[in-house]
Amino acid sequence: MRGPTTVEPVPGRTDELIINMGPQHPATHGVLKVVIGVEGERITRAVPHIGFLHRNHEKIEEARTYPQIITYTDRMDYVSGLQNELPFILAVEDLLGVEVPQRAKLIRTIFFELFRIASHLVWLGTGMLDLGAITPFLYTFRDREMILEITEKTAGARMLPNYFTFGGVRRDVHPDFFKDVAHFLDFFETRLPDYYALVLDSPVFQARAVGVGVLSRERAIARGASGPVLRASGVAYDVRKAEPYDAYPDLEFQVPTRTEGDVFARFWVRFKEMEESVKIIRQALEKVPKTGPYKGKVPPRVKPKPGARYRAVEISRGHLGTYVVSDGSERPLRVKHRSPSFANLQLIPDLFVGARFADAIAILSSLDPVFGEVDR
Amino acid sequence: MSLFAEVWEAVKAVGAGLGAVNKRISEPAVTEFYPYKKPEIPPVSVQFLALIQNEDGTDRCVACLQCERVCPSQVITIERKRNPEGKGFVLERFDLDFANCMHCANCVEACPVSAIVTVGAFEHAVYDINLLKADKAMLDHIGHEARVWYSPKFGVELRTPEGKIQKAPPEMQPGGLAELLKAEGGEAS
Amino acid sequence: MSRMPLPADRLVQPKLVGYDPTRPRPWLERLAYTLFFAALWAMVILAYGAVPALFRRFGWLSTTAGFLAYAVVEAVLAFLLAAVVALILIVVLRKYLGKVQERVGPMHYGPAGVFQTVFDALKLLGKEDFAPKRVDWLIFRIAPAIVFVSAFLLMVALPVAGGWVMADLNVGLLYIVAVSTLGAYGVVLGGLSQGNKWGLLGGFRAGAQLVSYEVPLALALLAVGVYAGSLRLSDIVEHQYGVWHVVPLFLSFVVYLVASIAELKATPFDLPEAESELVAGYNTEYSGMSFAFFFLAEFVELFLLPGFMVVLFFGGWHGPLFGLAPGSFAAGVLQSLYFLIKVAVWVWIFLWIRATLPRFRDDQLMDLAWKGLLPLALVGLLVAAFLRMFLEVL
Repeated sequence: MRGPTTVEPVPGRTDELIINMGPQHPATHGVLKVVIGVEGERITRAVPHIGFLHRNHEKIEEARTYPQIITYTDRMDYVSGLQNELPFILAVEDLLGVEVPQRAKLIRTIFFELFRIASHLVWLGTGMLDLGAITPFLYTFRDREMILEITEKTAGARMLPNYFTFGGVRRDVHPDFFKDVAHFLDFFETRLPDYYALVLDSPVFQARAVGVGVLSRERAIARGASGPVLRASGVAYDVRKAEPYDAYPDLEFQVPTRTEGDVFARFWVRFKEMEESVKIIRQALEKVPKTGPYKGKVPPRVKPKPGARYRAVEISRGHLGTYVVSDGSERPLRVKHRSPSFANLQLIPDLFVGARFADAIAILSSLDPVFGEVDR
Repeated sequence: MSLFAEVWEAVKAVGAGLGAVNKRISEPAVTEFYPYKKPEIPPVSVQFLALIQNEDGTDRCVACLQCERVCPSQVITIERKRNPEGKGFVLERFDLDFANCMHCANCVEACPVSAIVTVGAFEHAVYDINLLKADKAMLDHIGHEARVWYSPKFGVELRTPEGKIQKAPPEMQPGGLAELLKAEGGEAS
Repeated sequence: MSRMPLPADRLVQPKLVGYDPTRPRPWLERLAYTLFFAALWAMVILAYGAVPALFRRFGWLSTTAGFLAYAVVEAVLAFLLAAVVALILIVVLRKYLGKVQERVGPMHYGPAGVFQTVFDALKLLGKEDFAPKRVDWLIFRIAPAIVFVSAFLLMVALPVAGGWVMADLNVGLLYIVAVSTLGAYGVVLGGLSQGNKWGLLGGFRAGAQLVSYEVPLALALLAVGVYAGSLRLSDIVEHQYGVWHVVPLFLSFVVYLVASIAELKATPFDLPEAESELVAGYNTEYSGMSFAFFFLAEFVELFLLPGFMVVLFFGGWHGPLFGLAPGSFAAGVLQSLYFLIKVAVWVWIFLWIRATLPRFRDDQLMDLAWKGLLPLALVGLLVAAFLRMFLEVL
């Protein structure tokens, strides 16, 4: 339906150019379409259009049994695939009343944080590509490749492993796993100074990012933003602290927060989050027993008691929540996902209007949307 | 004066970036020459699925329909009949449509006899999508070609050059760490 | 139903074309790139040294017919040189970016991919040169030619060794300014004529950027002219026998460096074609050879702007001659090598900057040109004038 969301040219106004940015545009991170009006280089109007990647996740999931659904949750935010499985699994575990062994929790946490680093590396590379620097893209993807190889060795796939399950993880880790992760962390810490030199400390980047796309604290809360976008606007909200899950209560970490709310702050917060993730994984590696159970006792047929449960986790992009309603059968009555990128994307009209065209690209990459999760 | 200091800081920062780029010039390239050099895929990796036959050529599969039931995209089709000689069932047909497969390995998890397994082969690509529909002969063939495979019940298994099926050493097994640590401890004591 | 082919049947080993990158032979790769450089050197000797010397030796230049023949031969040679330069620089850029990005870059065609651009050019030649329906056809077709011709005309004035120049103009500096400005027309017209909004925005940006940076660039050149006391490029080079101009005219050099990167439309000033913002900017709708002309021109300029930088600030062809008489052919050969090495160093620095920095925004670009570089260029001009005055007094 062509409703009030489309941008129509104003009759008699000749200085405004209406451009369809996307869905085939190099900087829209997939299939976002933004219809923008520009006056020279300044954006006067912006209307985002989503839904090009809609795959009907929630309806399909009503027709699948609980273990089958885990496979589908992976496909939402494909950049940080493994993280998406967790809220659904936590909700069903609550409904089932399954006890998860501590070792399984720690393994899950290690993977969860590894995927946070992987996702932020993708964001950093593509974000810098949007800002015109090609080299960081190849560096970050090379580092991410190491995480994906570790994941493949243990979990059986690189991006969509389907590895977490009710009561723990699907199989025990590969014998090299702890060694590989420790090696990756050492390696990654030697690479971080380069990223600082190429990105955060670079004067050209600072010129592009400081004071651009400022999002006030009130606006961020009102629009339901979450994750690094919210934390860059001065709200220290992190699900890992607010409603701790898995092994997070036992681990010590900071929630990096900045008050400026501009593109630079969002980049900074994600940089610091990668450093925090390294610390979290190091702690978890110290705590995790080398051997032991990796899965709790789960009935062979997963049939939760009738009831409903909402659980949320802090994925790389923010607050991902899953609401599961069970009627006691093998299939859920309803599954609803609350995805962070979708909420963050609502900020586009707020942030784009008044910005320059090149700023719009920087703002979009600082929001870091993934369209598998926006459209679901 | 602060202007000069600012400019100097900016020049230094650009220099740091240039240095970060330049020091990579001596590092070896990470490019993989894929079609010419094939990578090693770990056996747990979900690429091809295969049916494994015992050393005497009989099917491991007991036609229990577990894999067909757990498959989220319903790509497995099994037809079976009563075993005329004894109890249980025999397979008549086992079709697997790789074109629609989600590579979740739920079937491998569900199999009670480790008949359907993940193998390290990964080159699926064909020009006609209909050619991705595998039948039992095909799946058996992939199983025969496989040197190493994984299933949760038996872990990673190897096929020796003589055709014997063996359990792989603990260095390759998920959860093989327990055995390795025990062996280390045994040597130490 | 046709059956799924067995894996053994479809494990078709792709056929290797030419060089086998899985078994690298570093000596062969180095030799190939050295030969490439030698080919460039030979082309330079031929175009700038041998042919003019031949014409002068037989006194053909004094007749009208001889002069016309000289012009035609030199034009062909300059075109070939431009093509060779672009072919080499494109593959060097790709190889260099590959090196610093921890990958291998082109690798199949020739040792370490030396012939990659040759095959790329053949591919572009074979492609349809498509013009969309709504383009302004004449301007759309002329624009790439303008861009290429402006880059190619600059070759005429480049002095590569003592007395080695196609046309030793007494207004060489003015010629550089005039002809390099011509290229901006091509880019702007190409952007505006194609009836595409991305191209339009790219054309706007190119117009603003190229015209703005022409001003500090011209002022930096003027400073050199004032200091050397001549607009003739070979005089300017001769003037640097005591000390290279980069020392007294450091400010002008900085201005020239920044402005020439902007003229090249290279990162961090690649706004007109910013691929992540404007899809492809001013050359969005170009394909086939029209696109190739834009591309070639960019890389010819990547040779010429460092080339003029070396001529103006780094003593041109200066270097130890080992007892060869200045002005002799052998001395010219050696001097052109010095010149090419200096240019190669600067091209490397340009590529290095290109690999490192992100892109500026359009308003920052304008700020840098008008608030940063223009005052700096004026101060540089002032410095040059004062130094000249002192030299005259002394």
